[in-house]
Amino acid sequence: MNKPSHLQAPRPTRWTLFWRTFLPWQLWRFLVINLKMLRMMRLEKKHGHKRR
Amino acid sequence: MARVVVLGAGIAGHTSAAFLRKWLGKDNDVVVISPQPTYNWIPSNIWVGVGLMKKEAVVFPLAPIYERRQIDFLQAKAVALWPEGTPEGGAKPKVEVEYTGQGKDGRREFVEYDFLINATGPKLNFAATPGLGPEGNSHSVCTADHAASTSTAFLESVERMKKGERQRFAVGVGHGGCTCEGAAFEYVVNLEFELRSRGVRDKADITFITNEYELGDFGVDGLNIKMGGYVSPSKIFTESLFAERGIDFVTRAHVRSVDPGATHIETLDGTRMEIPFDFAMLLPPFTGVGLKAFDATGADITDRLFAPNGFMKVDADYAKKPYEEWTPADWPRVYQSPAYPNLFAAGIAFAPPHPISKVRTNDEGLMISPAPPRTGMPSAVIGKTVARNIVRLIRGEDKPLYTASMAEMGAACVASAGANPFSGTAASMTMFPIIPDYQKYPQYGRDLNSTFGEIGLAGHWIKILLHHMFLYKAKMKPGWSLIPE
Ligand SMILES: Cc1cc2nc3c(=O)[nH]c(=O)nc-3n(C[C@H](O)[C@H](O)[C@H](O)COP(=O)(O)OP(=O)(O)OC[C@H]3O[C@@H](n4cnc5c(N)ncnc54)[C@H](O)[C@@H]3O)c2cc1C
Repeated sequence: MNKPSHLQAPRPTRWTLFWRTFLPWQLWRFLVINLKMLRMMRLEKKHGHKRR
Repeated sequence: MARVVVLGAGIAGHTSAAFLRKWLGKDNDVVVISPQPTYNWIPSNIWVGVGLMKKEAVVFPLAPIYERRQIDFLQAKAVALWPEGTPEGGAKPKVEVEYTGQGKDGRREFVEYDFLINATGPKLNFAATPGLGPEGNSHSVCTADHAASTSTAFLESVERMKKGERQRFAVGVGHGGCTCEGAAFEYVVNLEFELRSRGVRDKADITFITNEYELGDFGVDGLNIKMGGYVSPSKIFTESLFAERGIDFVTRAHVRSVDPGATHIETLDGTRMEIPFDFAMLLPPFTGVGLKAFDATGADITDRLFAPNGFMKVDADYAKKPYEEWTPADWPRVYQSPAYPNLFAAGIAFAPPHPISKVRTNDEGLMISPAPPRTGMPSAVIGKTVARNIVRLIRGEDKPLYTASMAEMGAACVASAGANPFSGTAASMTMFPIIPDYQKYPQYGRDLNSTFGEIGLAGHWIKILLHHMFLYKAKMKPGWSLIPE
């Protein structure tokens, strides 16, 4: 079994873990991720869904 | 006047039917044929399976919605396509169905169509692995009922742990040819989070079993993400999350059998091992639902319409070729049957030309690598595009105009990693395109500006938002069509 030893895989620092649930930062990320998803949908409209 | 029949009321079929009804005049019929009386928002089954949501929160009855929107609904399963009509019933194309409800259980009938969309999704092929599945020795979250009984078993384990017992959890995919690695990943991290929330994590050993060559492959050949000044493969992030959560894993694994209390595994290199468990949730491999097809004389033409795995052949390039020769052009664009132009497939029901991840087989020729996923977003986009093309064909166009190739489409995926409004997290991912295109994006096969991933609480909020938004949309409430797929 490939045990994920502490040395094999990078582990988040306490700081990284903190930011993951730090409310003001996550509110900002909520906005950013939604924008990224919308951007991806725009790309899709440009490439896919097009008339042949 | 035309009649469009949609087989299946899942993400693809329900989306097709809803848009057909919106775009077609009332002089045209839209008929949905599906064996279950309810719609299931499958992504949230994960939360049902860890006891966070009741089954009722992820399903709703279809009949009242279809009645309100003037969509005919037959609670039945399709068994055979007769695209040239039947010897006794005339040349009009028909689908043979068997009722599963509406007081007509078991009764067979032919339903005529002008256009047909096969959106029957997967058959959950538990039989591929001895002992796999709810009728065997492991659990599943593929249907809301499966998820509800999985939750009961999970909560029983939690109770045992509260009394001081240790419990071993085996979670993953139950066969070398499975496709749902993303869902298995989501379940295992949610399970781990719930054990922590319930204060029993120290009593649990968790092992993830996957057919992926590396963690983070997800059946899309992995993805590369820009972060912290590096472009890193998804393997790094997934292994990191597993290390952080203390989840052991076995990759490149085929589950040979599931006995009471132990899975028997063989890996690509031939290593055999046993993983004992007190609780196992292992997803099944998928095949097509097994529709048959006949020509006007009654001769069996199933192999003309369907691939050997039961999925429907469409406008893809099915020529066998090695991984190095796969191209985006292999993937279908309009999902039309090459045999009959009024037949279409959407969602999981269409036969992909080949996997997305590199195919790997063991010495006995058994494939131990992911089959290609067709997740919710592409399934819905394909369903909508097929509907749009059928509307155009009904209005007199001679061929489909709109395309929805997975090689020109991106996917957004939010994989819950623990559900709590303040301490929960989810991995939010986008990738573009789904099928890597090494001509356009030579280094990584995807556009790095649109392919990203991040773990955080914001992702969990988005997942909750999606749950409510997509259920609202599926219920066809006011403004439903404005919600993107
Ligand atoms: C546990 C789990 C979690 C998931 N999470 C995500 C996620 O977070 N994000 C994401 O994008 N995707 C997710 N997916 C994948 C997603 O659920 C599928 O991509 C999607 O459901 C495919 O849609 P579909 O319409 O092709 O098939 P389905 O949704 O399976 O629908 C098939 C329909 O056909 C009906 N049917 C079956 N047989 C017949 C027959 N003979 N005749 C007529 N009708 C028939 C079925 O009853 C059903 O209504 C998840 C999948 C699972 C199993």
